[in-house]
Amino acid sequence: MKSISLYVNRNSFVHDVDPITKLIYIAFAILVPIIVPSFTISFICVGISLVLLAFAKVLRKTVPVFSFVFLVLITVVIIQGLFKPENETVLFQLGPITMYQEGLLFALTITLRVLTIVSAFMILVLTTKPSELVESLVRKGMSPSIGYMIVSVFQIIPEMMAAVSTITDAQRARGMETEGSFFVRFKAFLPLMGPVVLGALINTKERAMALEVRGFNSQVQKTYLYEEKTYAYSRLIRALLLLAIAGALVWRILS
Amino acid sequence: MNKIVVEGLKYKYPLSETLALDNISFSVKEGEFIGIIGRNSAGKSTLCQAIVGLVPHFYKGAYGGKVLVDGLEVKTHSIADISLKAGMVFQNPFTQVTGSKMTVYEEIAFGLENIGVPRTEMINRIDEVLHLFKIEHVKDHNPFDLSGGQMQRMAIASIIAMKPEIILLDEPTSQLDPGGSEEVFQAVQSLKNQGITILMAEHKMEKVAQYCDKVLLLESGKVVDYDTPEVVFSRNDLDVFGVTAPVYTKVCQALGVKKKGADTYPVTLKEAEAALKEMRR
Ligand SMILES: Nc1ncnc2c1ncn2[C@@H]1O[C@H](COP(=O)(O)OP(=O)(O)OP(=O)(O)O)[C@@H](O)[C@H]1O
Ligand SMILES: [Mg+2]
Repeated sequence: MKSISLYVNRNSFVHDVDPITKLIYIAFAILVPIIVPSFTISFICVGISLVLLAFAKVLRKTVPVFSFVFLVLITVVIIQGLFKPENETVLFQLGPITMYQEGLLFALTITLRVLTIVSAFMILVLTTKPSELVESLVRKGMSPSIGYMIVSVFQIIPEMMAAVSTITDAQRARGMETEGSFFVRFKAFLPLMGPVVLGALINTKERAMALEVRGFNSQVQKTYLYEEKTYAYSRLIRALLLLAIAGALVWRILS
Repeated sequence: MNKIVVEGLKYKYPLSETLALDNISFSVKEGEFIGIIGRNSAGKSTLCQAIVGLVPHFYKGAYGGKVLVDGLEVKTHSIADISLKAGMVFQNPFTQVTGSKMTVYEEIAFGLENIGVPRTEMINRIDEVLHLFKIEHVKDHNPFDLSGGQMQRMAIASIIAMKPEIILLDEPTSQLDPGGSEEVFQAVQSLKNQGITILMAEHKMEKVAQYCDKVLLLESGKVVDYDTPEVVFSRNDLDVFGVTAPVYTKVCQALGVKKKGADTYPVTLKEAEAALKEMRR
C-alpha cells in the first residue's frame, strides 16, 4: 500500500534513539541558534543534523526536500539582496543589477534558520515511524484519542485516495470524460465527491463502532504490545541537549 | 445458567418511524450457539448491536425493555464495560480495521492493549488466534493489503483474542469462499466447545442447521420462532419470512421423509442420508 509517511526503514543508531529524545533534539536545534545568533552556531547545528542523517543512511531521501527548500530560499536571497530597504553597502554589480551586503546577510540568516529547522525535523520524520512517535507521546500522557486521530490519518488518507481512483475508473468505464481541460476535469470531479464523501462518512461511523467494541474507551490502564523504546544513552543525550540550551540562555543573559 | 436474557426489547433508531426491534424476548444459556436468521432488514444486525450496547449507547434513539448480558444490564453499563463480556464482529471487515496499526499482528493487539492485557499474555493470545484462523503467514502485512477473506478472519481473530465469554458475529463469512466459511464455522465450533456463548447472524442456512443449537427467526424486528434448527426449518411458511430451508430439508420435505421417530424433517446432509436410507428399507 502507498504510505504517506516518509519513514525509511534502516538499521542505525539514529533509528534506535527514542522519539522523545529526537523531539528534544529538534528543540535544541531550533532554540540554540535563536538564542545565540551567530553564523558559526547555526552552521554547527546544520552540520550535526547532516552528520546524523548520514549515519542514519537517509541522506539521499533528504535531497527532494532540500531541493524544494533551496528553491524557495534562493528567491529569498535574490529579493532581499536586491531590494531590502536597508540595503546600503554594494557588494557587486552585474549590469543593471546591484547586490547589497545587508540584504544578503539577512537572507543568509533566514536560510540558515530554515535549514536548521528542516534538517532537525528530517531526522525525526525519516527515522521514526509515526505510530511509534505517537505511542511514546501517549505513554507520556497524551490522550489516546488524539493519538489515534493522528496515526489513522497516515493510513486512512491513502485508503481514500484508493477509493477515488476506483470510482474514477468506474466512471471512465461508463464513458465519462475525466481527462482534458481544467473544466472537463472539474466536471468529472463533482460526481466523484458524492460517493467518496458519503462512503467516508459511513465508514467513519462503522469504524467508530468497531473501535468501541474493542475497548477503545475503556477506563482500564492501557498496556502496550511493544516495550517502550529506550536507547542506552538517551538520558545522557537528553541531559547534554538540555544543558546546551540552558548554557546558551545563560550566555545570552550574561553578554 | 442464562448468559443472555432479553425481555420485551423495543428499539427505534433516531429519525426512524418504525420499530427496528419490536418486543423481543429470548434467553441464551452458557455455551449455546445461536443462529439469527431472517430476510434483509429484519433486524439481525440491530439485535446483535443491542447485546453489545451499541444500541442504545452509540445510536441513542427510543429504547424499552431489558437486556442482561452475563448479569450486566446493558442500558446502565458503558460499551467498554460490556465489551469485556461480549465481543462483536461486524458485517463489513474493511471498516473494522482500526487504521492506526501497521501490521496484522499489531492490529490484533489493539483491543488487548485497550483492555490492559499484560505483554506476554498478549503475545501468546495473538499467536494463538493467528494460528486458529490461519493468517500467520500475513502477520507482518499491512491490514489494508489483505484480501476480503483474510480481513474478515483478522476481524474475527481480533475479537476472539480479547477472550470475551460471549461472541456476536454478524455475517462473518460473507467474504469467504466455501472452504473459508467452513474453517470459520469450525473455529467457532471449537470456541463453543470451550464454553463460549455464540450468536451469529447468517444467511447460509446449511451451515446454521449444521452448527447451531438453536435458531432465532426474525421478521420486521419481531421474533417469529426460537427453537432447534429441525423445528424452525421444518416450518412450511418459511418463504413468507424470506428464508429458504437447507437444501437437504427441502428435498426431504418434497419426498415427505421425516426424521425417524420425530415430526420434523432432517436439516443436515447426515440426517437426510440416514432418513432416506431408512425409507429405502
Ligand atoms: N443507523 C440506522 N439508522 C436508521 N435506521 C436503521 C439504521 N440501521 C438499520 N436501520 C433500519 O433498521 C432495520 C433493521 O436493520 P438491520 O441492519 O438490523 O437488518 P439486518 O437484518 O441486519 O439486514 P441485513 O441482512 O441486510 O444485514 C432496517 O429497516 C434498517 O433500515
Ligand atoms: Mg445486517
